[in-house]
Order: sequence, then structure tokens, then C-alpha cells
Amino acid sequence: MFKRILSKGRRFAGIGTIAASLVAAAPAMAQDKDPIVFGGSIPLSGVFAFAGVHIHAGLTDYTNWINSEGGINGHPVKYVMEDTGYEVDRSVAAFKKITGSNTVPVYYGDSTGFMKTIASELNSRGTTLMSGASFATALTDNEQYPYQFIPGPSYSQMFGIILEYIATQGKDGDMPTVAFVYSDTEFGKDPVENGKAKAAEMGIKVVEEIVTKPGSVDVSAEILKLRRVRPDFVVFHGYVLSPINEFMVQMRQMGLDTQFMGTFWSSDKLIINKMGADADGYMGVMPYNYYDSAEGGPMLDTLRAEAEKSDPDAGYRPTGYMQGWFNAMVWTEVIKRTMDAGKELTAENMAESLASIKDWDTGGIIGIPVTVQDMSFPVGRIWRVNAKEARYEPVSDWIHLD
Amino acid sequence: MDWLFFGEISLAGLAMGGLYALIGLGFVIIYKATRVINFAIGEIMMFAAYLFLAFAGGMEMSPWVALPLAVLGGSLLGGVIEKVMIRPMLGESSISVVMVTIGIASILVGVVEMIWGADPQLLPSFLPRKPVFIGEMYLAPKIAYGFLIGAALLIIYLLYFRFSRGGVALRATASDQAAAYSMGINVRRVFNLAWVFGSLAASLAGVLVAATGGLSPQFGAIGLSVLVVVIVGGLDSIVGALIAGVFIGWLETVAGAYLGGEYRMPATFAVLAVILIFRPYGLFGTHDIERV
Repeated sequence: MFKRILSKGRRFAGIGTIAASLVAAAPAMAQDKDPIVFGGSIPLSGVFAFAGVHIHAGLTDYTNWINSEGGINGHPVKYVMEDTGYEVDRSVAAFKKITGSNTVPVYYGDSTGFMKTIASELNSRGTTLMSGASFATALTDNEQYPYQFIPGPSYSQMFGIILEYIATQGKDGDMPTVAFVYSDTEFGKDPVENGKAKAAEMGIKVVEEIVTKPGSVDVSAEILKLRRVRPDFVVFHGYVLSPINEFMVQMRQMGLDTQFMGTFWSSDKLIINKMGADADGYMGVMPYNYYDSAEGGPMLDTLRAEAEKSDPDAGYRPTGYMQGWFNAMVWTEVIKRTMDAGKELTAENMAESLASIKDWDTGGIIGIPVTVQDMSFPVGRIWRVNAKEARYEPVSDWIHLD
Repeated sequence: MDWLFFGEISLAGLAMGGLYALIGLGFVIIYKATRVINFAIGEIMMFAAYLFLAFAGGMEMSPWVALPLAVLGGSLLGGVIEKVMIRPMLGESSISVVMVTIGIASILVGVVEMIWGADPQLLPSFLPRKPVFIGEMYLAPKIAYGFLIGAALLIIYLLYFRFSRGGVALRATASDQAAAYSMGINVRRVFNLAWVFGSLAASLAGVLVAATGGLSPQFGAIGLSVLVVVIVGGLDSIVGALIAGVFIGWLETVAGAYLGGEYRMPATFAVLAVILIFRPYGLFGTHDIERV
């Protein structure tokens, strides 16, 4: 009996293998052109692995989907990556290894540090356009980083979107007050000076600035400082989870009615999953629709279907997944525009194609048509945590900075 | 000057310092008895905190059952590390042993990432959430109750080392291994006991600190920052670890509040530099004189 089942199983497995080979071969037969390589230094381990695994999944699923659609202008896409552990030297080594054995028109960089380090080599090569996990304001400097772009708003632009929202929340004609809380890192400090300038320009008073040491155990002293200035809003930057939870819980224990906001990497569902009811009311700026939002669109629906197909048990896909997918979408658009113009896939030509993106419909990934400015997509929306529903819900319209 | 603010900041710093003292104690117990600087102490703290997360979060046990289980798990881990990885290194150079502890730290990070993943975590809330007021001064409840639990263990330890047979054996071994051996003390067992007790203190501190500051596979880095405490206090002085822990906690918090968060570390390292210049063996450490 057991042998019969086994032999039957083997037969089915054999048929399955042939069928799978035919399915796999079909796109390859349709795509006999040279593959286009998406390269990537991906942090599958180390401090950024919590996002890296999802970025990798987003890039992988997008690659599978675009190949199932016939690739880019008939060229199949190959995704080649290396784990970097979120270490700059390993990212550089991965870049050299991948670009040494492939022609790589587009590349995913895992950190601001890596993207700054590799800039001079990228500029002298002139072969590769790069984007990645970084939303660093510095990368919008086209003189220094002509071949790097940000797949969303820069951190300064995120502060700008947050401040635009805060400015609409004043009562009786008074502008709300705000405090900035950020980590003592390059990442944390990035938008602070621009944020202060923008706040001053808008008439919003920054009543306190708190810098926390990375890995701070206790932030109650910093919270005591905030108790004295009683800001209407606290904007966090440079964190993923802690110490946001401590600030929110302790300030509410003190009876303050401050509202709390954060930027991209501190606006994922992780906050809801880990903080539970305490996360209620927390707001984040997000350039993409959340995976589980009520919004829709052809590309957003495709993303959801592809995510479901690749891992039916995964359920919600974090913002890292959306970010990985959107990076690959932009690369595809840029490569397509460059090819359609009959130009070579050089960094300069692709940067030109990127700059030509105007009122681009992203199929629901971003809720409004987007225009590239200074190698970034300065658009976002404010979302608020509904802890009961365990999701973010939009509380503002889409804000596209000029 | 706002004295109420200064009082509140100082109170928060002293309470945090209590937890530093507990971690420092974990360092010192192991060093005092075995002369091994355990660079894996932060990772042992992390492992115990993840055990707590598994028991209280995953298995939904009562936190008050999960806490002793996690602490015992962490101390057991310390005992196993000593028996399996440190004991075979007896007689080897101290740098080799230090390298082994660094290796153990990496292994523990890898194990934790494999079991619990790389996501940052928050421990299930188990300490009272009602704000604590001492007079008019506010103290964050997690820090206040964490300090009380840590202080209770410190008192138990001090009594144990002073009055129990195991404690006397440990102190005797720390003073003179050869003499302790000749008096019939099972020195190997004392070594193991030191790792168990040191890891137990670190494990409790790990859960309490993670309950306040969150948990991730990088959590172990805090163990190294507490190295400042034990160097200031004296690597082989329990009293030194306690006093330096409380002082460094206070200094770090006051510097952070008045100068800004970016000055927390420079302030503590400035103290460390001064201490190393004037008392290289720490405030209360043994001044070894080696005669050739």
C-alpha cells in the first residue's frame, strides 16, 4: 500500500517537474534577449535584517512578476544580491563582486553609509543608477550624488509633510507646538536642521529637541524635559520601535495630551504589533499605501497577489516589502524610458529618464500621480494607528511637496 | 536652578544605576572567582530576556512565573558555558579565554536570530504602570520597580556571600585559589558556581532592562557599556561595582538631561579616563603587586 502511494507520488512528481520546466521555459523562450540585472546589497542579517528580509522579498516577487509579464521590453530580469549584515565594507564588497561579474544598470544600496561611500566609484563608472533603503537628505544633492535617487521623500521632505499636517491642527488660530526627538546617529540627525527651518518658516514653534543615545536603556530623564514644555506634537526620527513606546506610555501616564508622529522606518505595523493598545493614535508619514489599507489600484492589487502567491502564509507585508517593490518599479520605468528613447543604459541616461518622470501613475502604490524632484519622490500621507483594528488609517490627503 | 527637575533626574539616574550595578555584579562575580572577563555577559542578559519573551509572550505564562524561569534559564546557560567552553581553557592565556567569550557572544546572537528573528521586540508588560511619586518627584514606574527587584537580589547576594558556605568558598577561592584547594574546597565547582551566580544577576538585569528599553539581537551591546562601571569600581570589587553602577547611572542621566543625549557617553568615558590615570585598578579594585 505504502509502496503504491510512493510510486504514485513519484509519478505525479515527475509529471509536475516536466510541467514546471515547461512553465519556467516559456518566458525564457519568449525572452531570448540579454537579461537585465537588478543588483543589491541586502541586509539579510545584522541590525537592519528586520527590514532587509522584507525588502528582499519585495525585490524577488517584483522580479518574478515582471518576468511573468515578459520582462522589460523583452529582456528578462535577473535579481542578483548578497547579504551584507548592514555593514558598509561588506556592502562595498558585494557591489564589487556583483558588478564585477554582471552588467548592472540598477542597484539597491542598503544604507546611507554605503551609498555615500560608493558614490565616487558610481560616478566614475557611469554604468549604474542606485537607490535603496536610504531616504537621506544628502542624496538629493545632484552635484555630489548624480546617480543615486530616493524611492520616496527624503527625511527632510518627510518632516516637511509632517509639519504641513501639524500646521492644519491648530486651535483658535494658534499654531501647535512641536518637539523633535531623534537618535544620536547620522540617520537620526538627518532632517533636524531642515525641519527646524521649515517649522520657523511655517510659524510652528519647536519647543524642545531631544537627542537619545543609540540603545538608550532609560529615557525617563528626557521625558521629564518634555513634561516641562508640554508640546502638542512630538516627532520621532531615527528609531524603529524603542524608545517611542516609552515616550508615549510615560507621557500619557503624566497626563499629557501630546500627539506622536514618526517617519518612514518608525511607521510600520511593528509598532502596533509590539505596543498593542498603547500604539493607538500614533501617526506616521508614509509615501506608499499600506499593504492592508483599504486603498486599491492595478499595481497595488498585483503586488498583493504576487505576495500572496510567493508566501500564502505570510499575511501582512511590512513597509520594507512595499519599498523593495517600489524601488524595482522605478528601475523598470527608468530602464523602459531609456530604452524607448533608443539610448544606452548608462547612469547618465537613466538619471535623465528618472528626472523626466512627471505625474506618473504608480497604480495605487502611491495614491496620486507623482513627479520626481531632485532625485526623490516628495510625496506622502499621514496615517494614524487604529489599535482596535490593528492598522494604520489615513488622516490626511496625499501631500505632494513643491 | 529647578531643583525639582534636578531631583527627578537624579532619582531616575540612581534607579537606572541600580540596574547597572546588577549587571556589574555579574561581571565582578565571574572575574573575582575565575579571573575571566566575560565579554558575553550582555548576550547572556539578552538570552534571558528572550526566554522571558518566550515564556510570558509565546507560552502566555504569568510574567511572575516567566521571570524566575527566564532568570534560571540564563544562569543555567552561564553554568553550561563554563563547563563546556571555559573549563577546557584552564591554563590557557587570558586573551584566549577572552576571545572564547567574544565567540560565545556571537553564537548567542546567531541563536537568538534563528529562534526569534531579527525584529525588535517589546516584553509583555509586567511591572505596575501607575506613576511613582516620591514627594513631588516623579519616577517612571518601570525604573522604580525594576530598581526594587534588582536591589532585592543584591541584598540576597550580599547576605549569601557573607554567611553561606558556598559564599565563603567563593570568597576563599577569589582570595587564593591554591590555599582554597588545599583546604578541600572544590575549586572547579566554585568556578562553575561563580558563572551561575554571575549569569543569574545578569539575567535578572537583562529582563528588567529589556522591559524598559526593548529587546533585539543587538541588546547585548549594553553589557560592554557596563564595562565602564566595573573598570571604574574595580574589576574584582563587589562594593566597587555597586557604587560605580549607581554613580555612572546618575552621571549619565544628569549629563543627558543638561547637556543633551549625545554627551551621555563622553561624560562617563571622561570619568573612566580620570580613574584610569589615578587608580588604574579602579576605585575599590585590588592593587596587585607582582614581584619578580
